[in-house]
Amino acid sequence: MLESATHVGLQATDGPLTIDQFGAESARIGRSIADEYHRYHIETEEVDDADPLPHRFLVKVGKVGLAKLIGKEALKYFGQFDVILARPCTYGVFSGPVGGFVPRPKLCVGCLRCEVQHPEFVKVLPNPDLLTLGDSYTTPGHITAIDEEAKKGMVPVRGQGYRGRFGGPGFDGMLTDMSEIVRPSRDGIHGRELIGTAVDIGSKPMHLSFDSNGKLSGSIPEMFTIQVPFIFDLPPGDLGTPQLASVVDSTSRRIDTLACLDAHTVARLGLDAPNIVPVLDNTEASRVSEFPNARLIELRSSPDRPWGWDAAGFDIATEATDAMIGIRIHFEEGWQNRMTQAVESGVKVIHLLADLHGRGSDDTFVTELFKEAHMLLIEQGRRDTVTLFGGGGIVGADHVPKAIISGLDAVTLDLPVLFALQGRSNGSLRQRKQVAGTLPRHLDQDWAEQRLTNLCGSWRDQLLEILGAMGIREVRRLRGEFGRSMIVKHLEDEAFEGIAGYVGGDC
Amino acid sequence: MAVLQDIVDAYQGKIVKPSETLIHKTTHLLQDGMNMRAFGEYEKPKALGDARWTDELILSTWYMAETGEVPDNLNFKTGKSDGGFDRLDFQFLPESDWLEHSEAIDTKLPLNRRGDEKNKIEIDIPWYGGGMSYGSVSVNVMMSRAKNARQWNSFMSTGEGGYPPELYEVKENVITQVATGYFGVEEETIQAAPIIEFKYAQGAKPGLGGHLLAAKAGEEVAKLRGSVPFVSLFSPFPFHSTYSVEDHSKHLDWIETVNPKAILSVKVSTPHDVDMVAVGSYYAGAHIIHLDGGYGGTGAAPEIAKKNIAMPIELAIPKVHKFLQKEGVRDKVTIIASGGVRTADDIAKAIALGADGCVLGTTDLVGMGCTRCSNCEGGPSGRGCPWGLTTTDIELQEWVQQDWGAKRLDNLYTAMQWRLRDILRKLGLSNVRELRGRTDLLKYIGKEAGE
Repeated sequence: MLESATHVGLQATDGPLTIDQFGAESARIGRSIADEYHRYHIETEEVDDADPLPHRFLVKVGKVGLAKLIGKEALKYFGQFDVILARPCTYGVFSGPVGGFVPRPKLCVGCLRCEVQHPEFVKVLPNPDLLTLGDSYTTPGHITAIDEEAKKGMVPVRGQGYRGRFGGPGFDGMLTDMSEIVRPSRDGIHGRELIGTAVDIGSKPMHLSFDSNGKLSGSIPEMFTIQVPFIFDLPPGDLGTPQLASVVDSTSRRIDTLACLDAHTVARLGLDAPNIVPVLDNTEASRVSEFPNARLIELRSSPDRPWGWDAAGFDIATEATDAMIGIRIHFEEGWQNRMTQAVESGVKVIHLLADLHGRGSDDTFVTELFKEAHMLLIEQGRRDTVTLFGGGGIVGADHVPKAIISGLDAVTLDLPVLFALQGRSNGSLRQRKQVAGTLPRHLDQDWAEQRLTNLCGSWRDQLLEILGAMGIREVRRLRGEFGRSMIVKHLEDEAFEGIAGYVGGDC
Repeated sequence: MAVLQDIVDAYQGKIVKPSETLIHKTTHLLQDGMNMRAFGEYEKPKALGDARWTDELILSTWYMAETGEVPDNLNFKTGKSDGGFDRLDFQFLPESDWLEHSEAIDTKLPLNRRGDEKNKIEIDIPWYGGGMSYGSVSVNVMMSRAKNARQWNSFMSTGEGGYPPELYEVKENVITQVATGYFGVEEETIQAAPIIEFKYAQGAKPGLGGHLLAAKAGEEVAKLRGSVPFVSLFSPFPFHSTYSVEDHSKHLDWIETVNPKAILSVKVSTPHDVDMVAVGSYYAGAHIIHLDGGYGGTGAAPEIAKKNIAMPIELAIPKVHKFLQKEGVRDKVTIIASGGVRTADDIAKAIALGADGCVLGTTDLVGMGCTRCSNCEGGPSGRGCPWGLTTTDIELQEWVQQDWGAKRLDNLYTAMQWRLRDILRKLGLSNVRELRGRTDLLKYIGKEAGE
């Protein structure tokens, strides 16, 4: 304390400090440092809908039946208006000036009390329009969850237990672990202890080297830090509009993360900034110098070498800028070699990409692919020299920790942005280039920024819930912690081994 | 004027204690409506059910709760979750070898196997009621469950919300839960209970502690919990006095000091190392290891916690059972399973996988009308369950009357015991305890082509 405080600026005096002076001065400096400290937090605020999703239920009320009931009850309970006017809904579906004659289905939560109480003339039906959202992977359930998270910015909390299938494919087949008696846990979730969600982007040497004078002689860490382990990726398909670029720019700045944007868009809109990651084709590598404020610039494969590693492009880019150069690698055949070559050439950020259903070209799911990439780098003794981003199939808050457990440093978000902004998709959402969608016609910048901020706040808080349950104090420690996950298939093999008819978790 | 006020109140949605006439009208409409659905007089509601609790499972539970019998034309055995209990079935003997369906088929379960001086408790059925706190549910619901527990020589746990005075009437059948918030944990409530349950974790929200959102933490609830009304209560996690097995042991010692006769249950979630947790709890002095799987119910939990943290109960039971066997202590401790146990068939499967018995929570609520709409935490109205189950709202809680609720559960348990005996006799077993760990009597139903 004495040394660091003196270094920070202990006031010079005419003579040696007394103990009291030293204590007072140390306290002053400490207070000053503490006052500058800001606990990272994402400010969320509920926002209205711009283009609401179809509500969950349709409510059909037979008007004749209702009229008969009212007539009957008016006679039976003559004068007892509390009884006559009582309606079987606490959510207001049958409230309003004309009561149940014009029900308000958007308020219905599907408790079915009305339908059970009055089976003769009330029906509650699942809204088929809701089921048309998304596709087979990004389901209406994912989309409605994202919509709620982006609207409220809170962790969705509900009663009753899990309602879905047992285990399942993809991320559903992975469970996260917990511990019964660990800290920081809930205290961390509520901010009484710190659970860090910051991640370092860049490269750390596997060890430090010193010369004979004790000074550093080898490479030193080249990193910068973002506050959440997710970044915005290039908008897929036809979604890359200037309005959207502006929204992800301001949101990423606000929450201290990154946004990958097409370099041409960045240049055209003048968005060059530390929070923006311009993405260039390899053939345009020399253009990196046009983005002097970028901390990270990504190169993607050239059209003529769609899946190849282009060392020349990387060299050109590295020469032309001080920014880190990252490489986007698709999970196509031979990706392992390309990643290895890239890392050997000095690439510090690898951005791995599966399709939007989270599958590589051989149909392997991303949890396995991320794990393979992570382990490959560990086997090569290089893991800390590289930051791994990964994207594809991340459409739920639980997917973030599961992807990080699988080996990533940070995940990249694509489709969640569309649905957070109440956009609509049309057709399959599997191939990035083929994604067709529409955003609300009048995309208000402030509204959209708050929606995205809310989504990030909600997902970060849910990440804290997962980390807290494990007793893990920072998300960096979660990377590649396979022991913090359980694979349903493996658990089934262990539990059901020997039971007649059980032939393995894939059966 | 009073009439006018009624009209104004009703129009404005003012919440008041309902009149006897309104209670009578509403409860009868609800009860008749449930019966008409369960008996097939109207089609199944299109929006009812989910993969774990299908429409038929809910309606069959209503049927059993009304009649005390299993239905002929509804699937009362399994859901459609595509795994776990829903893919397990029994390998029954040829019909010629079945035992007679008889009350002589023993369904009793001893809970204290340590051979110590504490309460020697045996329940008539291999299940009891799981913890649901006052605040998450009403006193009417608690008393319905507790009265039914008395009827069945079984138990119901208080959950973590204190001990409403009404419960003393049935204290011999009430488990006092000690959870991380210590709500309502007093010497008096510890001394009242034959069983004390430590809740370390809960399957629906492992590692997260209890949640009671502000809207449901009303005046009476807050009074019993010693908290501020209408302030959300997020229980800490874990016990802040317990960071090791040694601490855990001292924790149990504390209860033993206050109530030397009480047997001790330790409720834990199902992490990867649940087997080691179970052994540690046994050596710390637990009589019951209560495993609560990841698909369990709750009054409120973050959606991300449900299913994503910890493992389903079907996968945890064999793990713990085998490990305790390997450690040579299996017969000294009772394993109770919960978290996604819905039916008599599930109970029998859990026992065949290695549990001694089960705890039911959601099943009780479904028996009293729950449709699993998931608004127990308060819902958009903030008032809680519109069926009057998971609420302490002065109006809504009246929709469940204690004697009606207890009778529904009595009927439901009658049907479930019948079905359990039916399973046992078809397996040639005259005693439910003989079923424990008999995975050889189970079969796994694989997916058929096209599934």
